[in-house]
Amino acid sequence: MMKCEDYRAAIAAEPSEAFDGGAGHAAACTSCAEFKAEMQSLDQRIARALTINVPKLELPDLRPIKVDGDTRVVNLPFRRRATMSVPAWLGVAAAFALVAVVATQYFSAGTGYPSLADEIVAHLDHEPMALKVTTEGVSESTLLDVVRADVVELSADLGLVTYARTCVINGNTIPHLVIQGEKGPVTLLLLPDEEIDMAVPLDGKAVHGVLLPVGKGSVAIIGERDERIGEIEQRVIDSVTWSI
Amino acid sequence: MQSSNTVLERKRRFDRVVAVLHRDMYRYAAWLSRDPAIAEDVVQEALLRAWKSLDALRDDAAAKQWLLTIVRRENARYFERKRLETVDIDSLTPSQSAMLAETDDSDLDDVRAAIYRLDDDYREPLVLQVLLGHSTREIAELMGIKPGAVLTRLHRARIKLKKVVDEAEA
Repeated sequence: MMKCEDYRAAIAAEPSEAFDGGAGHAAACTSCAEFKAEMQSLDQRIARALTINVPKLELPDLRPIKVDGDTRVVNLPFRRRATMSVPAWLGVAAAFALVAVVATQYFSAGTGYPSLADEIVAHLDHEPMALKVTTEGVSESTLLDVVRADVVELSADLGLVTYARTCVINGNTIPHLVIQGEKGPVTLLLLPDEEIDMAVPLDGKAVHGVLLPVGKGSVAIIGERDERIGEIEQRVIDSVTWSI
Repeated sequence: MQSSNTVLERKRRFDRVVAVLHRDMYRYAAWLSRDPAIAEDVVQEALLRAWKSLDALRDDAAAKQWLLTIVRRENARYFERKRLETVDIDSLTPSQSAMLAETDDSDLDDVRAAIYRLDDDYREPLVLQVLLGHSTREIAELMGIKPGAVLTRLHRARIKLKKVVDEAEA
């Protein structure tokens, strides 16, 4: 037979009386049966007190990283060095060997590139002059010409745009912008017609980036290896609104 | 197309698990941190980690323990990063105060305040047992202590709460 002291210690730890010998003791000991009832009553109050209101769940940005069996490695071309006006640009031009892990469907049928990611990186290779470290932004008129309001609206939160021109990607004319990151220039390709269902991370020796789904379109973001692309992603998401 | 289907399936599985368990995650985080605002941050981080390592969850039936373990670790990381000081119940933030006075039932609020004042070592197993329905063994696994220690803490926690309630009713 269980002692009262032991029973009370046990019932205070487990008011459901999930321990051996408890039921028999409570049936035989009125005082311990009362203690048990008190503990069970207390537990009901504890349960109610613990059940606090839960705010509406907001899921974080759940970006797929890799899809087993469907990942694909794209060997991206070395960048050619351009005429450099700023020493820091050396780091951008040097050893541009980008190996992208692509986990999405192919987009670029008929363009000569096997994927949108290939075409984007090939395009960057053709415009090295865009990547310079500068504090000088493009004029507002240039920016308005490139970023047409009927296609996309940019908020000032995006930061200083130091390069802007239109380019053709996958048969569509799109804005090619450069902003300045913490480590150097960061390329943004705004792709309103390229809807993707998941982000495509790009990983290389000197640079890295992402093809990011944004609404009904996507934005390619590529910066230097130690650039904090994640912070720029949020700025881009907050700043880009498709008009179409 | 295969990759899209795989991603979609993964997302659906994640949504299923989270839809059922996010309330438990939030309440556990709130009672661990004793701050709803911190709890929201912790749950967000925990969801991100869970998403990244979803493939490690072999059996969805074990999702609850798995997610709560992630919440526990994220809470610890949060406090390591922030180096927050111990909560002083006499100088609570608005969100902390709101947590303690969610109802018009003053009796219930007294019990809640008493739980809030419990040491972490006592409060956590109580939350796991009463609110989340964990067994002694599950609590021991989650907290990394022996089942006997869990029972001791639960016993002490209830005795402390009973004393508060008895004094309030006297």
